[in-house]
Amino acid sequence: MLPVSYYLIVAAIVFCIGVYGVMTLRSGIMIMMCIELMLNAANINLIAFASHFSQVNGHVFVLFSIALAAAEAAIGFAILMSIFRSKNNVNIDNINILRW
Amino acid sequence: MNYIELASEFAPELILTIGALAIMMIGLFLANSQKKVLGYLATIFLAVASLVIVYRGIYDIQMEGILADSLTIDPMSQFFKLTFLVVSLIVVIASIKEYDGHSNQDEYYTLILLGTIGMMVVASAIDIVTMFIGFELASLSTYALAGFNKKDPNSLEAAVKYFIIGALSSALLLFGLSYIYGMSGGLTNISELAVFFNNNPAVLQSPMGIIALMLIVAGFGFKMALVPFHMWAPDTYQGAPTVISALLAAGSKKMAFVAAFRILLIAMIAIKIDIAMVFMILAIITMTLGNVVALSQRSLKRMLAYSSVAQAGYISMVFVVMSPEALTGGILYVMSHAFMKTGAFIAVAALGYMLLKENSNAKDVDHLDNFAGLGKRSPFLAFSIMIFLFALAGIPFTAGFVSKFILFLSVLEGGFYLLVIFAILNSALSLYYYARVVKYMYVLPPSSDEKLKVPGTYAVAILLAIIGVLAIGIVPEPFINWAASAANVLGL
Repeated sequence: MLPVSYYLIVAAIVFCIGVYGVMTLRSGIMIMMCIELMLNAANINLIAFASHFSQVNGHVFVLFSIALAAAEAAIGFAILMSIFRSKNNVNIDNINILRW
Repeated sequence: MNYIELASEFAPELILTIGALAIMMIGLFLANSQKKVLGYLATIFLAVASLVIVYRGIYDIQMEGILADSLTIDPMSQFFKLTFLVVSLIVVIASIKEYDGHSNQDEYYTLILLGTIGMMVVASAIDIVTMFIGFELASLSTYALAGFNKKDPNSLEAAVKYFIIGALSSALLLFGLSYIYGMSGGLTNISELAVFFNNNPAVLQSPMGIIALMLIVAGFGFKMALVPFHMWAPDTYQGAPTVISALLAAGSKKMAFVAAFRILLIAMIAIKIDIAMVFMILAIITMTLGNVVALSQRSLKRMLAYSSVAQAGYISMVFVVMSPEALTGGILYVMSHAFMKTGAFIAVAALGYMLLKENSNAKDVDHLDNFAGLGKRSPFLAFSIMIFLFALAGIPFTAGFVSKFILFLSVLEGGFYLLVIFAILNSALSLYYYARVVKYMYVLPPSSDEKLKVPGTYAVAILLAIIGVLAIGIVPEPFINWAASAANVLGL
């Protein structure tokens, strides 16, 4: 069995990719995918720890967090859909009426 | 504990759940013109849930670890639950007129009730899994509510910004919590975590612990809208429907505070010096930037949003001082701020509603110019806005003064002189922009002489908020005692 640190490194890399994507990408859909990456990185962590400690808590946490991520995606796509209807794209650079 | 007992302990949450489902189902059978009744129904459910909490006792109630140690009922949870319920109640009463005849009223009231349940779960949670789920339930409902006027580009923009930042903050929080779970060897219960970290403080000072702390502070910081995590708040509060801005500023923001009180002040008390240093910097820049930027705002909603950022800075001084007195002040401040902010936003919403009724093409109804001469056009509305703004500034005999006094005094007693100087200077600065609105309302001439009549439901909502603000301001003792018993729970 691989030591737990390997999983943690993978999760940290995935998390960093997600953060980088949220900060640099311009499309609303891509940003949502990057947020999903960050959530899944946390899930990898939890699963790795849970199986390392032979515990069930972490698995439960992950099941909840997957369900929550799905609900979040549903709401997010609904909001982006309304944006698309009014502007014909989901580029977040165009969402700039409210400032200062 | 059997299910009957469980149901009686969580009666308020159950009542709201039943209410949310019932409203959704009943809405299917009603025409748009009849859906107004759903608003009254939601009001009744929220009022009953609040009465159940008051009836159940709020000072001395103490239950440990219900449902596999995931939820608790203690004075602190009851205090915050009641605050959230009253805020939602005021918001729902105000919405009855705002959304009269709207085709999606059933979803609207359902989402408000579900969001309230999420906040109440967070107030009760003593397990990080439960806390995260409650957090998400409240956040998901409010994302949808922020974009409720889906034809209005401002509302959509508010929703998109709120959603992206909110989802990002929950991802940061979840990643931080996953490290906490791993470092503690698989603990999720907050009091068990506290014992573990007190015995092994070195774990939290390892690189992993520091990253976890940073992520958790950032996750909560986004929700609490502390500078530099505040950029979404003014945009969202300005763009969202005004009644929903009230719910966001007074409800979902305060939810982050109760969660942070539990996690940072109980579970991570072992590294209190590091937390205090981080929050010292955050509190100072938050209150200063919030107040300075609010000075130049012409939109009243945006000004209230920045003042809300500044107030979050005052409350976060609790994490610096970490004394029972400071926590009492902070908890009391949460409740007073909830009343003041809800009232102020609802009053702005009432004005917006009346102006839009006068002229349905009116733009920027929350612009400062629209408040000119309001004292002559609608004395009641002008007077109530004045009370809320003076309360926010901290004028005596209002809730703002009492809570600011207790909080600032505790910071002074804790020996943080720099912090208290900044807080008092900021308080004085904030008076300028609050007083400017009052000047507009009472000194400047009105744009038209026509009287504005405040609709009944708005008036009731505003009156409820005024009663809250003045009750805390004039007879503060019961509220202070209550906040103190809530603060005792954390055992600082």
